[in-house]
Amino acid sequence: MPRASYDPAVRTLTLGVPRERAPREKRVAIVPGVVAKLKELGFEVVVESGAGEAAGYGDDSYRDVGATIAAASDGPYREGGASAYGCDVVVKVMPFETDEIAKLREGATTISLLYPARNPELVKALAARGVTAIALDKIPRITRAQKMDVLSSMANLAGYRAVLEAAAAFQGFFGAQVTAAGTERPARILVIGAGVAGLAAIAAGRALGAEVRAFDVRAAAKEQVESLGGKFLTVELEESGEGAGGYAKSMSKEFIEAEMALFRAQAKEVDVIVTTALVPGAKAPILVGDDVVACLKPGSVVVDLAAEQGGNCSLTKPGEAVVPEGVTILGYTDLPSRMATTASRFFAGNVLALLSDMARGVAGGEAGFRVDLEDEVVRAATLTHGGQELPPPPPPEPSPPAPKKDAPTIAKKPEPKPESATGAIVFGILMAVAFTLVAFYAPDAFVQRFTVFILACFVGWQVVWAVAPALHTPLMSVTNAVSGIVLVGGLLQAAPGGSSLAVILGLCALLVATINVAGGFFVTDRMLGMFKKGGPR
Amino acid sequence: MSPQAVTVAYLASAVLFIVGIKGFAKPDTAKTGNALTILGMLIAVAVTGFVAFSATTEGLPFVAGTIAIGAVIGGLLARSLPMTAMPELVGLLNSFGGLAAVFVGISSYLAPGHVYATEAERNVHLVECWLGVAIGSLTFTGSVVAWAKLRGTLSGKPLLLPGRHLLNLALVGATIGLAWPFVGEASTDAGLTWILALTAITGVLGITLVLAIGGADMPVVISLLNSYSGWAGAMTGFVLQNDVLIVSGAIVGSSGIILTIVMCRGMNRSVLNVVFGGFGTEGGGPARKVEGEVRELDVAGVAAALSTAKEVVIVPGYGMAVARAQHPVKELVELVQAKGGRVRFAIHPVAGRLPGHMNVLLAEAGVPYDLVHEMETINADFPKTDVVLVIGANDIVNPAAVDDPNSAIAGMPVLHVWESALTVVFKRSLGAGYAGVDNALFLHERTRMLFGDAKKTADALVGALRSL
Repeated sequence: MPRASYDPAVRTLTLGVPRERAPREKRVAIVPGVVAKLKELGFEVVVESGAGEAAGYGDDSYRDVGATIAAASDGPYREGGASAYGCDVVVKVMPFETDEIAKLREGATTISLLYPARNPELVKALAARGVTAIALDKIPRITRAQKMDVLSSMANLAGYRAVLEAAAAFQGFFGAQVTAAGTERPARILVIGAGVAGLAAIAAGRALGAEVRAFDVRAAAKEQVESLGGKFLTVELEESGEGAGGYAKSMSKEFIEAEMALFRAQAKEVDVIVTTALVPGAKAPILVGDDVVACLKPGSVVVDLAAEQGGNCSLTKPGEAVVPEGVTILGYTDLPSRMATTASRFFAGNVLALLSDMARGVAGGEAGFRVDLEDEVVRAATLTHGGQELPPPPPPEPSPPAPKKDAPTIAKKPEPKPESATGAIVFGILMAVAFTLVAFYAPDAFVQRFTVFILACFVGWQVVWAVAPALHTPLMSVTNAVSGIVLVGGLLQAAPGGSSLAVILGLCALLVATINVAGGFFVTDRMLGMFKKGGPR
Repeated sequence: MSPQAVTVAYLASAVLFIVGIKGFAKPDTAKTGNALTILGMLIAVAVTGFVAFSATTEGLPFVAGTIAIGAVIGGLLARSLPMTAMPELVGLLNSFGGLAAVFVGISSYLAPGHVYATEAERNVHLVECWLGVAIGSLTFTGSVVAWAKLRGTLSGKPLLLPGRHLLNLALVGATIGLAWPFVGEASTDAGLTWILALTAITGVLGITLVLAIGGADMPVVISLLNSYSGWAGAMTGFVLQNDVLIVSGAIVGSSGIILTIVMCRGMNRSVLNVVFGGFGTEGGGPARKVEGEVRELDVAGVAAALSTAKEVVIVPGYGMAVARAQHPVKELVELVQAKGGRVRFAIHPVAGRLPGHMNVLLAEAGVPYDLVHEMETINADFPKTDVVLVIGANDIVNPAAVDDPNSAIAGMPVLHVWESALTVVFKRSLGAGYAGVDNALFLHERTRMLFGDAKKTADALVGALRSL
């Protein structure tokens, strides 16, 4: 029997994974792949039977990695009962419903999406139950918290899926076709809002062969859009829409009018519109009004990723597909859930990152995690603690404006140091002095050798610059061998007729120089033997 | 053999050296080039032997025996050492060249029977001896220290003696200053003392100079020592009035200088800066701090990325050589190729501890050389690359060189790996590179870290790719 309550002597905590209750929700908050890592953190995982079924993770797959399967739970929390809701930590995808909250143990911690702006009564109920509620949708969008950012990971899936849903509803090719039966231009997609979802949609659209344009009020998005092969649209009005936390802020009236004119013009050309514009804590702005829809050709598709918050399209019915006047408008709110296997894995990865991060403050040997309200990330995501609702934390600073791509950055670019002119001058002077000395002072024989020497330097200079950099090591060892030609000198000195000391030194020179020559040549040969060209491809 | 015949034979030998080294311009012709160079060497030795023993063959067995022993030792060294020990072998062989030059210089000074037509001729000869011994001795001790550093006997860290600039200056001054009493000395016995003192002084200079140089600057030092051994040979040629020595010495000297220049350009530093240190002391202001989140990726994730990638570039660094990861890396290449991706290698000029070090290691592992590209040819291709694997490299892929004018490595040419879609960095741990500079690449949003020993990681990656 699993322990459903926390016993300090054993130093493990239980982590419960209930089945999702929301209709059409197929995801599960924890997948078998992260169970081992959770155990390392000191969690014993309790999964409600059938919780992962819809996402492709059967009970056995959890059992195999050492999780406990609890029977489907109903009724309130019972001390000692094996219920996923009775655990120290309960992790869900969707917000806890009122009857679920009743099953939670007092003092437990919940981790899930909560959308407090839309669900104030749930937050109250969680506080009243004495639960510490962590809202994954409130994790700040700062770099450190990126790996815990469920909204981003789900938006990525949603953006991708949006394009696939559009492709399924669209009655034509996305990519260009040239066939005997006729040719087709590529479909044209307009993506409004180039956040995580928008960028994923651009990438998916491009991958299917469509032509993609994208619009975003934030200038910083331009580079990202273009890096994915999309065309970035702009309006003829200077205004930055960079708001706090990576979201766009609301814009002026003039700007919105210019924007609408742009969308109307675009609607005449494009086949698919994907809208992804969300303003945090507020109803989604209407960007594709009736007038824009009227400009679309029959058979066109609009996918509204903001459907859950009212929609960016005036005709959107959240959760449904509607076809007014031949234009299909998809208002699906369960796009990530349509890719439940991967979505669950990403979700679980985000939760694991959060728990690992919260485990850092825990003393060695202790299990679990700590709700550290000094921590920027934890503070922002914790909505209730100790029976109270926590006031919202101070808002984050707006992101710095995108650097202008022109003058300042390029001017600051460090240049490679110019070839030193003083070095060349010093070298020239030295050469001049040497030449003068030789010309006026040196004996004839020396002048001859000096000539040979200087010419050989230039020949060597020319020949060696032509050597392939790949062969610099063999070059080094072959020149090394050649420099061993001092052995010729040793040979001359070791010849009979010299003083005995001179001969001995000559023999020594001969020995070491021969080692140098033989070693150098052999090693060069060995190295060169390894350089092989690839076969024909 | 007439003097004309000897001169012509030496000429032939010199021409063979030049043509031989020219063969190193391309990997296809390099082997022939090496053979021609060997032929040139054989001719030079044979002709010299003929000249030296034309009067009497007395002592020939000694000489022949010495050559045979030397050849066997050299051959054994070259055959037995593993390829990873190549840098140290090059250093060691270089030291022998320098030592030989010292012996020949002293021996030539002691050899009787010098008849000088003029005072000037005598002075020139003595100065040649002096220079030959000085450069030879410097090359010898410097190469020995470099050898010890490369094989890890001595720490790779620069050893900065207090007042080393003054000490070095004093040693150089003594080297030049002692030439006057030496040239003025009529008796060879007294002169021998001077020349031994010179050997000692320049020997110490070689040690102090190379001790002060750190591991990653070794390519420059090795190139420079290689060049010195050439100049020492050329000087010996002047001493012995032998043109083939002068020609080959000059070629080797230029070659070393060129390699030195190539390496210094690769680091955007001057030779003086490398040799005398002072790294990181320039620059107008504090280098930018790099802050942000390090993102990790596991082996399975990297394998998945590689299995779908169309363009893959691998950037090896000294860390790959240390971990001996080149063999699994080669398997990795074949697996990615089998999955339809194109794999290429990008080699920075100063990657590793020798010029061209990475090329040799990859060749040893069996990577075809036409997959291995230089920085200039591949740098423009990174924006079109799907996955870049950085294996044991740091400073050569640091974006600070391009965008932070206050960085210690500002202006150094680097591989622009961060322009690719995904950069995976194989690294033992999060540390600064040789230059002690933080690397913003590790925090880049498209960079993922794969921590661990490069060889083990590469092996695991091979396994993961096989099972995909």
